[in-house]
Amino acid sequence: MTAPTPVTAPGLDETGAAPSTTTLRARKITVPMTPTVWLRYLGALLVAIPAPILLGEMGVLNDTRALVLGEAVALAIAAMSLNVLMGYAGQISLGHFALLGIGAFASSKLTAPTPGNPVALPFVVGLVAGTGAGGVVAFLIGLPALRLRGLYLAVVTIVFNFVMVQSLFQSSWLSSGSGGVELPRPLVGSFDFVRNADYLAVLLAVLVVVWLLDVNLSASKLGRAFHAIRSDETMAASFGIDVTRYKLLAFTISGALAGLAGALYGHLFTFVNSGSFDLTQSLFLLTLVVIGGLGSRAGVVAAALLYGVLDFVLGEIFGTDVAGWVVFGSALLLMFTIAQHASGLAGAIREARERRHEGSVHLAASTPQMVDLPRPTGLPARAATTSESGPLLTVRGVTVDFGGLRAVNDVSIDVPAGRIVGLIGPNGAGKTTLFNAISGALRPDTGSIALLGTDLSAAPAHVRAAAGIGRTFQMIGLATDLSVTENMLLAQHQVATYGPLESLVGLGRAPRVEADLRQRAADAILALGFERYADTPVKNLSHGQQRIVEIGCALVTAPELVMLDEPSAGMAPGAVENLAVRLRDIRDELDRTVLLIEHNIPLVLDVCDELYVLANGVLIAHGLPDEVVARPEVIEAYLGEAV
Amino acid sequence: MAQVLVIGLVEGTLFGLLAVSITLIHRGTGAINFALGEVGTFGLYVAWFLSVDQGLPWVVGAAGALATSVVLSVAFERLVVRPMKVPNPLAISVATVGLLTALLSFEFQQFGESPREVPVPIHGIGIRVAGVNVSPTQMLSVVVVAGVALGLGQFLRRTDFGLGVLAAAQDPDATRLVGVPLRRVTAFVWGAGGAVAALAALFVAPSVGVLTPGFASTHLFVVALIAAVIGGLSSLPGAFVGGLALGILKSGVLRVFSESSLPGKEYLVYLAIGVVVLLVRPSGILGSPRLRSAA
Repeated sequence: MTAPTPVTAPGLDETGAAPSTTTLRARKITVPMTPTVWLRYLGALLVAIPAPILLGEMGVLNDTRALVLGEAVALAIAAMSLNVLMGYAGQISLGHFALLGIGAFASSKLTAPTPGNPVALPFVVGLVAGTGAGGVVAFLIGLPALRLRGLYLAVVTIVFNFVMVQSLFQSSWLSSGSGGVELPRPLVGSFDFVRNADYLAVLLAVLVVVWLLDVNLSASKLGRAFHAIRSDETMAASFGIDVTRYKLLAFTISGALAGLAGALYGHLFTFVNSGSFDLTQSLFLLTLVVIGGLGSRAGVVAAALLYGVLDFVLGEIFGTDVAGWVVFGSALLLMFTIAQHASGLAGAIREARERRHEGSVHLAASTPQMVDLPRPTGLPARAATTSESGPLLTVRGVTVDFGGLRAVNDVSIDVPAGRIVGLIGPNGAGKTTLFNAISGALRPDTGSIALLGTDLSAAPAHVRAAAGIGRTFQMIGLATDLSVTENMLLAQHQVATYGPLESLVGLGRAPRVEADLRQRAADAILALGFERYADTPVKNLSHGQQRIVEIGCALVTAPELVMLDEPSAGMAPGAVENLAVRLRDIRDELDRTVLLIEHNIPLVLDVCDELYVLANGVLIAHGLPDEVVARPEVIEAYLGEAV
Repeated sequence: MAQVLVIGLVEGTLFGLLAVSITLIHRGTGAINFALGEVGTFGLYVAWFLSVDQGLPWVVGAAGALATSVVLSVAFERLVVRPMKVPNPLAISVATVGLLTALLSFEFQQFGESPREVPVPIHGIGIRVAGVNVSPTQMLSVVVVAGVALGLGQFLRRTDFGLGVLAAAQDPDATRLVGVPLRRVTAFVWGAGGAVAALAALFVAPSVGVLTPGFASTHLFVVALIAAVIGGLSSLPGAFVGGLALGILKSGVLRVFSESSLPGKEYLVYLAIGVVVLLVRPSGILGSPRLRSAA
């Protein structure tokens, strides 16, 4: 490791402050997901369970009040369920109460004694069955809709809600006509939970557990993947996230929680029929979640609890007629919220608080350096990539058609290991399209792509990312409302080797892997000299700073091939010089290979070892940079653009 | 068989027309107007008030319904969609869910769940076509829908403004080049959606018989939505054909399984068809696959 060159980070105000630190071990990191979190929630349970029972005993919580509160708590669990799907992953379900219905009917099938089913299973079995049924059904109806981009899930779920309420929930198999089904209260020994205050304890306990699962989920790779998908599916895929799989996971988890909420709801009222789950309920749940604040756990729970109580209080004061108008008012508020303040109630409170705490945050300069980040634990050891062992990346005969337009026409390039290879060409030459074909963002019509001799032509983007292709985007390819640290974590999605269940319970490999990822992210941020922006949302950084974070993201998983799409775009001239130093560092210090799209010809001539020129989708020149740019056909291609 | 076809076609044209409206709005904004059906229901309540409650002629009620639905749709576009801070398809769609919820809750509060009698344009027994009795209302419905569909098609393809509407869906800049203000195009798309919703609700009402909150969402919009999906949410003819196909399928299923006690069988068919289209041909029967991947 050579001594770091003191340079100023691009885009920072150049006050020339002294280098902040020389050690390359980042500050102590904290992992939100640890077994000790469970202890804290155990404490919450010790309050949540006895409190309503005691209050009921004292007569404060009479049966009517406890029923109202119970319904509000069930609604809060349902709201958290929809929030996972809509708030976190950005997908709409218009039929969520149909999933609640699935949970309730499934639980009833098992727990209610009927002439045809004399053996009634315990309440807990009903809850588990309701949860499972909700998850399975959500998975099945999500499968056709979530492979596609767009609003197809909303379409399928609204029709699904009609199917269940108009048809299956009224079938003689699920329910005795529209008569409905019974759901008994739990029975533990001789304690029968018939009093509503007692059953409220069960509801509150489940709310605490679901809250904990949601906290874990948000801090895990699942939460980050959902967030990235909500921001931009293409960007998410470039981080190596299998978008379809994660959208399905979000809906399955959401469906399971909805099933749980439905079963709890059913056992609260001890009777449900098809009318309990009709479309208006689903629509109202969505209204609550948007008003409470999409993506805010506390916001949606508060909105649900508030409405549950408000409905009752208004009804007590003004009579039942008024309570109905609350829905109408909420719907108007929903339209206002989504149009003018999409982050909802929770967002409004958060912003007000931030405004109050806004001090004079001075963005001082810092010293970016390059460090060789350790190989991520999940990846195989680096292959020997010498220039003799053949090219690192081989592109053969790639053609991409857009309708009638041939964007890339039979292009073949080789990128040797340990080099910086430039790709230039006039606007619309097909450079970014070729990048997309290499990274897997789009599938070429013909041609092959291989990394170190391994054919990746059929591999989706996330497999290519795992194989060692890292890239940045022409447009900012970051989750801009997430912090620098969170983007670095997102960039390590492929090497976060733990499953969805571990994400939810926060146990198993999850805490250890997360600690490792966070350490690497902190190291990378330190190496970039961005420590004081570690928790700053990327959107608050300057354009130049965002480009640096992007490069950091491309490097944090230690890829073999770093593909950079116009890294100098939007940079000040001084910053471009610094970029050149950094690009050479990637090659010389880190032994990595760079494929670079650039419009800045002096930069290209400065750093590139080889140059390819693309014009109108066709490769027109290849060779040493100085020699290539002097060729008449290259000059003509550029001049032709100017005319 | 003939009966299945005739009944199916009469209803199918209404589904098709509404599906065309869904597609037009989707092409223009990328959003789905989930309130479209309920805007029609609301118009129908106005028609009920004028024609049944006040005893005015059907035409007066129908005119009131059309005017109400158009004003509601255009006002929604003006007051909610246009001033939006981040007008992405998701936000617009969620806002239409807000409108749907507002209309539904208003109807429940104002009219309650007790069914209302629906206005019928022409009373009488009608004539027999291929052994099937076709009521005067059904005949009028087919004539009006065919007229509207053909007129709309000609208008979109033959006039500058219509071409602007079609172009706006592909590329807003192209519309400006044609010389048509984008705002007028948007207002037209939402307003036309409202008019079509009211029309479809007016003509489907006599065959359903009673009016309750959620009427057109339940009886028209869900079907039209699947019909629009059959058209890939992008093809206007595809959406119309989808509507016809679902109309015939519905009447076929109701006839073949008339013995079964399961209520709402037709909804199962809609869901199944929607799922199959999404799995097999998500770009729709007449849509182009490239268009979808570019969107």
